[in-house]
Amino acid sequence: MAKKTNKASSKSDLEKYINKRLFDTIPLGIAVIDPDYNLVYANKTFEQLFGSWENRKCYHVYKNREDMCSRCESAMTLKDGLPRANEEAGYDKNGRHIHYLQHAAPIVDDNGNFLYVIHIFTNITEATQIRDEHQVLFDQVPCNILLIDRNFHIVKANKRLTDWLGDLEGKYCFESLKGLKHKCSECTARQTFADGRTHTGYHVWKSPAGKTLHLHVITIPLKRADGSFDLVMEMAVDVTQTLKLQDGLKFAHRFLETVISTSMDGIFAVNEKGRVTIFNPAARKFFNVKDNQVISREELAGILPQGFLAQVSGEPGHAYLPETEVKTIDGETFPVRLVGNKLKRSDDSLLGMAFSVQDLREIKQLEKEKLEAERLAAVGHTVAGLSHGVKNLITALEGGMYMLNSGLSKGNIERIQKGLEMLMRNIERISIFVKTFLSFSKGREIKAKICDPAEIAKEVVDLYEVKADELGIALTNEKLGDVLPAPIDYESMHECLTNLVGNAIDACQVSNGGSCYVAVRTFEKNGIITYEVSDNGCGMDYEVKKKVFTTFFTTKGLGGSGLGLLMTKKIVQEHGGKIELESKPGKGTTFRIRFPRSRLPKVIEKG
Amino acid sequence: MNAKKKILIIDDEQDVLAYFEAVFQDSGYDTVLAGNGFEGFELAKLEKPDLITLDITMPEQSGLKTYYQFKKHPVLKKIPVIIITATDESYKNFLNELNGFSTPEVFLSKPIDPEELLKVVADIFSDNNIKK
Repeated sequence: MAKKTNKASSKSDLEKYINKRLFDTIPLGIAVIDPDYNLVYANKTFEQLFGSWENRKCYHVYKNREDMCSRCESAMTLKDGLPRANEEAGYDKNGRHIHYLQHAAPIVDDNGNFLYVIHIFTNITEATQIRDEHQVLFDQVPCNILLIDRNFHIVKANKRLTDWLGDLEGKYCFESLKGLKHKCSECTARQTFADGRTHTGYHVWKSPAGKTLHLHVITIPLKRADGSFDLVMEMAVDVTQTLKLQDGLKFAHRFLETVISTSMDGIFAVNEKGRVTIFNPAARKFFNVKDNQVISREELAGILPQGFLAQVSGEPGHAYLPETEVKTIDGETFPVRLVGNKLKRSDDSLLGMAFSVQDLREIKQLEKEKLEAERLAAVGHTVAGLSHGVKNLITALEGGMYMLNSGLSKGNIERIQKGLEMLMRNIERISIFVKTFLSFSKGREIKAKICDPAEIAKEVVDLYEVKADELGIALTNEKLGDVLPAPIDYESMHECLTNLVGNAIDACQVSNGGSCYVAVRTFEKNGIITYEVSDNGCGMDYEVKKKVFTTFFTTKGLGGSGLGLLMTKKIVQEHGGKIELESKPGKGTTFRIRFPRSRLPKVIEKG
Repeated sequence: MNAKKKILIIDDEQDVLAYFEAVFQDSGYDTVLAGNGFEGFELAKLEKPDLITLDITMPEQSGLKTYYQFKKHPVLKKIPVIIITATDESYKNFLNELNGFSTPEVFLSKPIDPEELLKVVADIFSDNNIKK
């Protein structure tokens, strides 16, 4: 009995709850409107969502409108008494945009009239937002996505894919993506359907336009809560460009490797930690390093010129030594041309250093041989011309003899006198000639010492100062910029400049009056030391210019041996230099002798 | 009776001029001397020599250039020329650069044998006489 009573009382409690409390505790907003759309009733949940409602119209509360909605579902329900459900958008109590499901049902009185409409709200704002975000993600993610069913029909494809291939829904994936009539022999989707796991693979797709795409593909089962599934999501990332780059990179790498390993120049490199990562066969040969021998950073620093590594790793990160000396791994010195470059990443951080080295041993030898050949050629030239000078001398001697003999037989004292003078003069010439020629042909080894090139010019100019002064010639000496000391045979260079300055002064004497000058200049540019001797004397015409450096040519009659410029040329050549000549008759002459530092002789003794 | 023949000697060596002058004068020729080609050409126009001896290697103006001047001149081009120079080499070069001008009558190489020089000169004059 008591049980019954309890049951009855609990039932009445339940009814009481449903009637009085449920209305407010249910997590759905509920409101009632009259036929004039006035809100006449609403629960707590509704209030929490839309705020105050009393004495307000439904459209005003839900949608923040001043007048009725153009299409009102409730109006229709009031007419036909049918319940309706819609997805609607409106504003919450704080004016924020919300999405909600609205169920509308009529409240019918005993006579069957529709007196009110009840609205039940479900807030779906968050779900809608998530759904929209997913759609954007699905369509815009930079990869192709499609859903496939167990028959390999495409159920859905993202915008990226449909933009490219058009509508794909319901088509076979193998047909629309690869242009095949049958399933693929290797299929990641099939694997996923078989074992329910994620699979990856590499696919080649063909567009209808015939374009080939290379793709990295992932297939994922779209599982339900119970683990069953009928759809597979396939995500395909286009790697065509990446593959192309990879191929290009591989080729570039192989090309570089071939170039480095077959290069005649030594090539080596260190990484950012200073470890030697490249040391090509040519470099191994130069430095006498065995094929499998690893070079440490310390060993590398030891074979290169002192401080070279620091120079390359510092600023500006580039060092070029056109001629320097390095050591083999066993300490033997040899001449090379050396280039070092710092390698930087795009953010300027250190990537390493690369070096290129050219063995100059052979070139040096050839250069030496060439210099010797040039010297011998000059001597040869001289010997060929020797007969010319000698014959002229003999003719003059014979002339003297003839005068002497015929004078004697005719008793002509004047002629005897003249003959004797001719003989004596030409014997004197022979003696000068022989002296000069000897000094020219003996091929004295030049002895280079480190000396100041400008100092030699100064001494030569000092030597002629008095003579120039007497003749009224303005003799000047100028050093332009810095000229560093260089290995030069002092006496030879002195003689060389003495010849040129002497010639210039002679040229001034022959010229037709006016103020004369002889200017000596010394300067250095791009590693080339240059002496320049200019005058505004008589100058030379084409015929003379052609002959000045050939043997025994003189315009000075008995005053010149004809060997001066030949001697000058020889000295210049022995210093690895070149002699140039600019001259205009009546305007003057400029002799320019140029010595590239790299070709200057080696120092025999220091000091 | 022919008048004395006149010979123009062109050489840059004073001693050679003196030598040839003595040789020619001893054999009864008149001589005119020029120390360079330019002077020689001017003298030739003035003196109208019967023969010219010409050195090739001279500083101011080479024998070749002087030879051109003679051969271009309407009157002087007829005067026979003996080239006297030190080397065969320079005579070869001379011939290579004649550019169509007629070759000189005789070439003699230094040192000179006076007998030979006189014989060559005599031959030229007698040839010319026969032609006349």
